[in-house]
Amino acid sequence: MENKSVVIQMQPSPNNEGRSLIQNKKKWTSIFNRNSEWRGKIWIYGSAIVVILSVIAITLFLTVQGLRSFVVDHINVIDFITGTEWYPDRAENPSYGALPFIFGSLTVTILAAILAAPFAIGSALFMTELAPKWGQKVLQPVIEILVGIPSVVYGFIGLSVIVPFMRTHVGGSGFSLLSGALVVGVMILPTITSISADAVRAVSHDLRQASYALGATKWQTIYRVVIPAAKSTLLTAIVLGMARAFGEALAVQMVIGNARNLPNAISDPSATLTTIITLSMGHSTTGSVLNDVLWSLGLVLLIISYGFILLIRFISRRGQIS
Amino acid sequence: MTSKITNRIALTVIVLCALVMTATLAALLGYILYHGLSAISLSFLTKDSSSFQAGGGIKNQLWNSFYILFATMLFTVPLGLCGGIYLSEYAKPNKLTQFIRSCVEVLASLPSIVVGMFGLLIFVNYFGWQYSILSGALALTVFNLPVIVRVTEDALQSVPRELREGGLALGVTQWHTIKTIVVPAAFPGILTGIILSAGRVFGESAALLFTAGLSTPNLDFSNWNPMSMTSPLNPFRSAETLSVHIWQVNTAGITPDIQTIANGSSAVLVLCVLGFNLFARMVGKFIDRKLTGKA
Amino acid sequence: MNQVYVKQNVEESHQNMKKASPVLEVKDLNIYYGEHHAVKHITMPIEEKSITALIGPSGCGKSTFLRTINRMNDLIHGARSEGEILYGGINLLTPKVDVVQLRKEIGMVFQRPNPFPKSIYENLVLSLKFSGIRDKKKLKDIAEDCLRKAALWDEVKDRLDKSALSLSGGQQQRLCIARALALKPKVLLLDEPSSALDPISSSKIEELLLKLKEEYTIIIVTHNMQQAARIADKTAFFYQGELIEYGNTDQMFTHPAEKRTEDYISGRFG
Ligand SMILES: Nc1ncnc2c1ncn2[C@@H]1O[C@H](COP(=O)(O)OP(=O)(O)O)[C@@H](O)[C@H]1O
Ligand SMILES: [Mg+2]
Repeated sequence: MENKSVVIQMQPSPNNEGRSLIQNKKKWTSIFNRNSEWRGKIWIYGSAIVVILSVIAITLFLTVQGLRSFVVDHINVIDFITGTEWYPDRAENPSYGALPFIFGSLTVTILAAILAAPFAIGSALFMTELAPKWGQKVLQPVIEILVGIPSVVYGFIGLSVIVPFMRTHVGGSGFSLLSGALVVGVMILPTITSISADAVRAVSHDLRQASYALGATKWQTIYRVVIPAAKSTLLTAIVLGMARAFGEALAVQMVIGNARNLPNAISDPSATLTTIITLSMGHSTTGSVLNDVLWSLGLVLLIISYGFILLIRFISRRGQIS
Repeated sequence: MTSKITNRIALTVIVLCALVMTATLAALLGYILYHGLSAISLSFLTKDSSSFQAGGGIKNQLWNSFYILFATMLFTVPLGLCGGIYLSEYAKPNKLTQFIRSCVEVLASLPSIVVGMFGLLIFVNYFGWQYSILSGALALTVFNLPVIVRVTEDALQSVPRELREGGLALGVTQWHTIKTIVVPAAFPGILTGIILSAGRVFGESAALLFTAGLSTPNLDFSNWNPMSMTSPLNPFRSAETLSVHIWQVNTAGITPDIQTIANGSSAVLVLCVLGFNLFARMVGKFIDRKLTGKA
Repeated sequence: MNQVYVKQNVEESHQNMKKASPVLEVKDLNIYYGEHHAVKHITMPIEEKSITALIGPSGCGKSTFLRTINRMNDLIHGARSEGEILYGGINLLTPKVDVVQLRKEIGMVFQRPNPFPKSIYENLVLSLKFSGIRDKKKLKDIAEDCLRKAALWDEVKDRLDKSALSLSGGQQQRLCIARALALKPKVLLLDEPSSALDPISSSKIEELLLKLKEEYTIIIVTHNMQQAARIADKTAFFYQGELIEYGNTDQMFTHPAEKRTEDYISGRFG
């Protein structure tokens, strides 16, 4: 080592700034240097750790808390999931059947997707295939503003417009599964539209040209070439919309009627996992059975949300392979 | 011949879809603004809300919304920026990176009420911060973090590789290159994304129900001591935001002028969010022009 | 192991002092991208304060070679190198070398002008500020000095605070050269610096390089035969990763020793 420095000195000094090309040993104290690579890395890795920790903590704590009603309060899991009677606050013989809420959540989700998907994909086709220039210019801001409107505002408008409309035209109180699905359907419309538009845009022009060259009409090209080519992303778009619909709480709660039994028709009032949690969580005391079963509902919500995430991954991965 | 007719019909249906969507937006905005603007007045914006009588305002709610937004951004922006930098600049293509990406994806797709429940469990109960600005802001941080991470990563990815090489070739370390060259070059995109996410945070309600609470203590706007319970600055007091207020008024309000208050609050909320959107676009364009020297 | 190295270095340094000392000594350099052997067994000295041109058909490894000298190739996933590049008695390829310091010593200019989206002034002083120079006056002086050296001062002196992106392509490239000069490097690596520019800007860059060689050692990759002939003292012809011929430029362009060199120079392929 000694020798080396001698050699370096013997060389006509290569640098005039007194720089040494050989690295100093990295000292941990370099974190106090404001230009230190170290300091940056601490920030960077720190925030990556925060992201990981949040996901693990959410999953872990909600799972532990959600299992309390089964482990501590000895409620049967099967009864909980398949039971149709939800009377946790009944002093005598309380029952904890969550099926109406699971059913309500899934029904609202599926109905919303059925209502929104055609309009969303239609709009996406309009802005990419029919009027790629000005259609894009008009619809892009429409999508962005629709995405930006807060969900309580959707709920409020549902309450003041859709519910009275349903009351007079469909009958009943107007608070219903259908009203909930309508409100959420409008909410997920822009989500599905913008991802669908990306999907359609990604279809190669050669495919379209080939189809037109064979004398196909615009619709035939869309129907036989564009949609099949974009199929998996379109599906992803719809499932993403459904995931959003499934997790929506307040907007649905304001219009669905919050009935605790299984509805007979989509025009009946109903409830979902999110709405029952929204309504009851604030009123229950920590540690009570009622509180515990609400956390169990939360766990069901979390598990189904994870289901959606996995489903989306599955679809988009399959789309990439084919 | 029939294929031509089918074509006509199908294309008409597509146009109708687009029309329906545009009309929906027009109707929504029209409804909110038509009913809401007449409810907005100076006194509506500057008066306390009232629980029983008519004529309440939304001063506290508006203040709370902005305060929580500010606190949320204070936590999210540095974290999200660094997370985005990590994914764009440092992450090697390996299992860990994949896992982090999955975590961001999970955070982004969890229902906000789940985030709220988590906040209730951890911040409100476990840390004992009660229903408070702090609990609410932390819950919203979890909710907003993945958005900022993604926005940052996308913006950084669009910075040409040549700029990074240019910095490194000058004997500048990677972190310093990122800090002084890459991030500033991506700044317009990042800022636009941040402001847009601010609109989302501003309108969020479900994550706040069980974290920031449904009520606000009497605030004394001349008391700026953050430790005092009546101070608007106190981060440990409960705080009903504007969007939570809209929900609250509609589901549990008993004042005679529920409709007016809901209309006015919705209009204010929507105008704020629209303002964020507009602002984001203008700021992005302005800085972009300045950076590229076209101004 | 270290001892051996040191001995070698001592001997070399004595030899070097006798010859017209090469500032860089490349010895049996091999560079790989994964399995792909991109640069093969290169051995060549680079003379101080001269212009060395690297020519050869596209994909023959010129950029790869150049980027290895200041270790920019470290950034490419899967790239690795074997052999030695001796600089001041130190093998630049050993992991011990501080690449950050190295790049201050050996500057680089790229094919496409890459000014930072900041003001002209900021472009020049960014690396200085990083090196800890805070004195405003000193920063200004160095910036002016660099701009003068890059023959850009007269064109931009009134708009130093304007965005560097508002300059023309040729000006941008000269700014990039000026920027590289700020840290007083010994060696300047240029990868086809004028290939993206118009002929007038291109000739300005050539003039500039001829002036700069009085102070700096310049290695330039070029696609343009005339350019190499006009400015280079030495020329190296690369072909499929190998160094085919290396010598004085006049010699090489008038009497190439190798058939392949002649074919390439006369435009028969490439
Ligand atoms: N990043 C890289 N990854 C893999 N191979 C590369 C990479 N860059 C260059 N190569 C390969 O190395 C060889 C030399 O490339 P390069 O040095 O760019 O040539 P030149 O600059 O002479 O045109 C080429 O065969 C090229 O395909
Ligand atoms: Mg090249």
